[in-house]
Amino acid sequence: MEGTEVATAVEAVTTAYSALPGLLVAVPLLSALLVRPLGKRWPSARNALMVGTTAATLLGAVAMIGPVSEAHRIGCEIPAMLGTLTFTVDPFGLLFALFTTFVWFCSTLYSLDYLKHEHAHDRYHTTSLVVLAANLGVVLAGDLVTLYLFFEALGLVAFLLVIHTETEDAKRASLKYLWMTVIGGFMLVGGIFLTFAIGGDGTLAPIVAREGTETLRWVASILLVLGFGVKAGMLPVHVWLPDAHPVAPSPASALLSGVMIKAGAYGIFRTVLVLMRPEVTEHFDEAAWHFTSQLGLVVLWIGMATMLIGVMLALGQHNAKRMLAYHSVSQMGFILAGLGAAGYLGVHGAMGVAGGLFHVVNHALFKSCLFLGVGAVFFRTGELDMYKLGGLWKKMPLTFLFTLIAAAGITGVPLFNGFVSKCLIHHALVEAAEYHELASLAFAEKIFIVTCGGTACSFIKLIGFVFLGKPKQEYGPEVKDAPPRMLTAMGFLSAAIITLGVAPQLLIKGIFEPGSELWGIHPAILDEYLEKLFLSPADLMSVALAFAIGATIFVVGMRFGLFHLKAPKWFGVDYWYGKAALGLIAFCGFLGAWYDLARGFVGDGLRWSMARYRSEWNRIERARRRLVMTLATGAPGPRDQHFVQGAYVVLERERQATVRRAVTDAMTVVRERPEHGEAACRAYVDAVRDVATYMAGRLFHERMGVVSDLVRYGMAEEVRHGFDGVVRDVVATRDSVSATALAVADRRMAGESVTREISAAVNRILSDERFDSRLAALVVIPNPTGRAADTAEAIRQALPDLAAIRAYRTEGLTRLEKAARWMSDITRLAVEAITQERSSWLFADHFGEESVVGTRLAIQRYARDMSFNVAVIVLVALAFLLALGVRA
Amino acid sequence: MVETQLVTSIVPPLAFVLPIIGAAGVVPFTANAPRLRKAALAAICVLEVIVAASFVPGVLSGSEYQTHLVQLTPRIWMYLHVDALGALFGLTASVLWLIALVYSFGYMEGEHRLGRYYAFFMLALSWTMGVAYAGNLLTFLIFYELFSLLTYPLIVHEETPEAMAAGTKYIIYILIGGSLVLLAIVFTFFLAGDQTLAAQGGLLALSMGKGKLVAVFWCFVAGFGVKAALVPLHGWVPDAHPAAPAPFSAVLSGVMVAAGSFGIMRVVFNVFGVALLRELDVMRWLTYFAAFTVVFAALLAVSQDNLKRRLAYSTISQMGYVALGIGLLGEEAATGAIVHIANHAFMKGALFLCAGLLIKRAGIRNVSDLSGIAQKMPVTTAAFAIATLAMIGTPPLSGFVSKWFLGLGMLDVGQPWYLAVLLGGALLAAVYLLPIVYAAYFRPPSAAVMALPERVGGEAPASMLVPLIAAVVLVIVLGIASSVPGMPLSLARLAAGIAFK
Repeated sequence: MEGTEVATAVEAVTTAYSALPGLLVAVPLLSALLVRPLGKRWPSARNALMVGTTAATLLGAVAMIGPVSEAHRIGCEIPAMLGTLTFTVDPFGLLFALFTTFVWFCSTLYSLDYLKHEHAHDRYHTTSLVVLAANLGVVLAGDLVTLYLFFEALGLVAFLLVIHTETEDAKRASLKYLWMTVIGGFMLVGGIFLTFAIGGDGTLAPIVAREGTETLRWVASILLVLGFGVKAGMLPVHVWLPDAHPVAPSPASALLSGVMIKAGAYGIFRTVLVLMRPEVTEHFDEAAWHFTSQLGLVVLWIGMATMLIGVMLALGQHNAKRMLAYHSVSQMGFILAGLGAAGYLGVHGAMGVAGGLFHVVNHALFKSCLFLGVGAVFFRTGELDMYKLGGLWKKMPLTFLFTLIAAAGITGVPLFNGFVSKCLIHHALVEAAEYHELASLAFAEKIFIVTCGGTACSFIKLIGFVFLGKPKQEYGPEVKDAPPRMLTAMGFLSAAIITLGVAPQLLIKGIFEPGSELWGIHPAILDEYLEKLFLSPADLMSVALAFAIGATIFVVGMRFGLFHLKAPKWFGVDYWYGKAALGLIAFCGFLGAWYDLARGFVGDGLRWSMARYRSEWNRIERARRRLVMTLATGAPGPRDQHFVQGAYVVLERERQATVRRAVTDAMTVVRERPEHGEAACRAYVDAVRDVATYMAGRLFHERMGVVSDLVRYGMAEEVRHGFDGVVRDVVATRDSVSATALAVADRRMAGESVTREISAAVNRILSDERFDSRLAALVVIPNPTGRAADTAEAIRQALPDLAAIRAYRTEGLTRLEKAARWMSDITRLAVEAITQERSSWLFADHFGEESVVGTRLAIQRYARDMSFNVAVIVLVALAFLLALGVRA
Repeated sequence: MVETQLVTSIVPPLAFVLPIIGAAGVVPFTANAPRLRKAALAAICVLEVIVAASFVPGVLSGSEYQTHLVQLTPRIWMYLHVDALGALFGLTASVLWLIALVYSFGYMEGEHRLGRYYAFFMLALSWTMGVAYAGNLLTFLIFYELFSLLTYPLIVHEETPEAMAAGTKYIIYILIGGSLVLLAIVFTFFLAGDQTLAAQGGLLALSMGKGKLVAVFWCFVAGFGVKAALVPLHGWVPDAHPAAPAPFSAVLSGVMVAAGSFGIMRVVFNVFGVALLRELDVMRWLTYFAAFTVVFAALLAVSQDNLKRRLAYSTISQMGYVALGIGLLGEEAATGAIVHIANHAFMKGALFLCAGLLIKRAGIRNVSDLSGIAQKMPVTTAAFAIATLAMIGTPPLSGFVSKWFLGLGMLDVGQPWYLAVLLGGALLAAVYLLPIVYAAYFRPPSAAVMALPERVGGEAPASMLVPLIAAVVLVIVLGIASSVPGMPLSLARLAAGIAFK
């Protein structure tokens, strides 16, 4: 009951209204708009604007100290996006805002001179201000959407800082940076989404997890930690950092390494110790902290791995800035270890919180100071390779001093700031190890000491190779101490390093204790630290131990050249990320190619089916026409009949041609005799036409008779091909017909009978042309031996001669015989029609002259056949009637 | 929520009459007065925007407008009805059309057969507005079919062999889709008779037979899915977009493809109703298809070298988001889907306008030739960059707003694994768009870019740059000010709220 009341009291800490957080974000954004217009004309005014803006934000952050210490939480809301952007500042947020603005101010001051040998100053300064706004937005954000908005802005805009120099290295590094940032952003937004799934409401407050969401909670936490971790340079997503930080201009490196990666640390801090912790109560319910504890342990071990591997990689570097970048990774490991320990310890984790966050501040100060120091060396000498410098302390004493102070800070020399935070983290680790007696955590503490040793070794190298020892090259007169503005910037940072080292209570009492209290973490242990443990012999001993390890590594490393060892490429995750990215692109290309191929197949298939469809359609269409024709004209004849039809047409043509020829000749004759009257001429031509028509008709019928006989004897197939040729051969008969017609025309005009002459002429022509023999000659039997030869002979024998045919046709038959012949013909046709093979039917595809004639024939035949049918029916009917009659 | 009240108004018919006036009354008589034509058409489009915008305040305060137009048979009316969903779609379409029209003035300068182009362009707007404001299925069908078929001349406008082939493909796909829609509508008439689209569905009821309802549903989805480019019905999209003139590509991608999604929304919300579909349990399959569409199309987009083709695949992928949002059957997801139609219209519109500028002013069609173009065409490149970031879903641009609601919707209905699709699609959008931006700014200029002359008269005529900038400003405003009443988000929320009431 009591606990509930206290909880209500804790919840009752309301957010006091203050416009300051909003202004802090808005001011740099607004002045970013002015940079370009000013920079074009008055660069010095722009410089003043830059310094003024950063100083103003610094003052703004300082101005928040009062309200925050009074109200514990201040904030404001700006209507935008999905409703409102919320800004809330608690002591921890304030801490981040303070060091962010401070380092930004120093870096900006430094950049004014440093950028002289860089291009695109306006772009740099605009970017810098936008990134400042975004960074402040992240640490002052009051809800997750606002945080995500500024986090993405920070990541994407800072891309311009990374690529600023636009060298090949910078482009490569910036691409890696861009992709890691984008992917990290997606992980982050995925994690934020999932916080809603497990019961969050999007504010930066402990999520009361719903039942049965344990797995989702883990997924959300891991996504959030990874998403923020990309920015923080956390293992295994740190790979962009050692590439991106060194290629930026030094003041930007200082910002990237000193401040921006802290946005990631801030996110992980909020994830572990705010979002994923149980509700703030006075009670300590261990079960409620179970998840946070586990998550803290995971983060702690990630931190351990990060710090150890970071420092190992740092030892192998030649490039001073690259080495510093690896130390950023390593130092982030310290921070994560502290935060992880805090999560693991739950309400007892004040030491971890303080250690982690103190180290955030310290690292911001000394790492930016180191980058500025190394940047100053580069500014004067143009050299970044540690092994090619040396002895600079004489030439650049102040730079040396400030760098030395920063190095003392990072290695944890007592009375410098790093000492305090490292000791706090160390204590947190020890506490964690004792908390549940986890042996592995005791081991973690050993790793911690070794890593501190590695750090010490690294900076012995840096200071020793760059500033001490003998110069490895001749320095020109331009190598002197950095310009005053740069030195001032470094001086500010160094002063802060020493201040915090001597008086850590400033932060511990001012920020961490009220902050811990606000979030329900017991702060008493921090007082205990300040009173009993700060500068205690045990802590001093651990530092001494670390330095001893560092010196040993340095000596051994130098002796055996360990610092020049290179791990194989495939050893780093970097290599595999690259492979994965290329793999994805290759996969997409592969998929695209296959897809296009498949599309091509489908297209071809469709086209094929279309063609197939067309041909099928044509087939059906032909069948349909055939059907219609059959219905209209009766069943078509067999192939032989077709031949007969064809022959009919050919011969009919020949008949017409013959007549036409005679008429033409008659016209010629008439024209030669112009003295006759027109009427006479016309009568002459008519007479010729009459005679020629009669003769040609006779010839036609005789020839048709031959063809019919041949067909009847089954010769049609053999004769077909040569038939046209034979007809061409008998063209000469036209002359005879024409001559005869001209000869008898006058007599006919006179009214005499010319029948005899005509008949004689026709008979003569017929016996001359021997149409039947010519056709019979076409019947060729290959290899006429044996039975085949006999057959051929038999066929020849069987061929009737013309006279016989004529006899058959016309003479000596009684009427009854003719009827019987007709009947037998019809019967044969009927039998043929019934028994014929349908597939052998032939059809004309279109209506030419031939088909018209053919159809006419077919109609005739149909009529004939139908009359036969009718006759049969009549007969049957008669028979039936007869039968009826008989019965009756 | 305020009870909605129906107001009979004569304004809705104006929405489709105005462009017809433009097409039939202005274009034929101004062949020799190009400036007059441009001014008149632009004025009509502005009026159109005003008409479309005039519905918004009323709709937001709970009124809906209706007009009975023509009685086709004693039982069937042509009937217009403006609700929140339609108002949003109509407003989006009219604004995008205005942008594209003004852009056309510059882009189509010197092209052949301008009369045909402008006439059909205005007609297409008319049909689109009809689709947006259709109050019953028959009216919807009439406008939908008109708008599907009469855009053919715009797709084949350039009359190159590719364009003709793309046009043929388009018409085959669309006819098949249209037939399916017709079949579904006839079936619905058979089941339910002529009814107006109801706010929460309810035209159909479970008592009509589950099998029949499922059949109707799939006919609708397959029919509209062709337009909405759901894989595997998307085949016409990647061919039609590169073939069409850029301003029409912009509206094709932004509004016309979305009209298919809009149709699916009408079916889901107003014909079937959410409750019925939950009982039928068919939406699951729609989400599967949609999810596949998102990822598959995005993967294909990565390997396309032709810029407009890449954008076309991107459209398919983005429309997958819309279908996914509808399929989840949750209020938040539906909000996301609806607002994504509007947001996507301007993002993709801006990207296509950029592509058009690159084609027209630099003669560049391929991604691989774009390196270093930022030096020669800074405004275009900047616009492209902003639209790209919006497509990826970077806050505070408009793409983020729709993705945010889609994501929340997925959690809301308890299916967080679709987040992988949502974010995977967005990541792939980054993979297929960001390298273009990077190359444009930081890679050494390609041969094609080197060959470009220094432009004396600036990067492009104002008639092309101003619409582009307007589109980009909309992309930004729709993100930053998304919660302002009257913005698409408010209408989408209202529409989703009504549908899920």
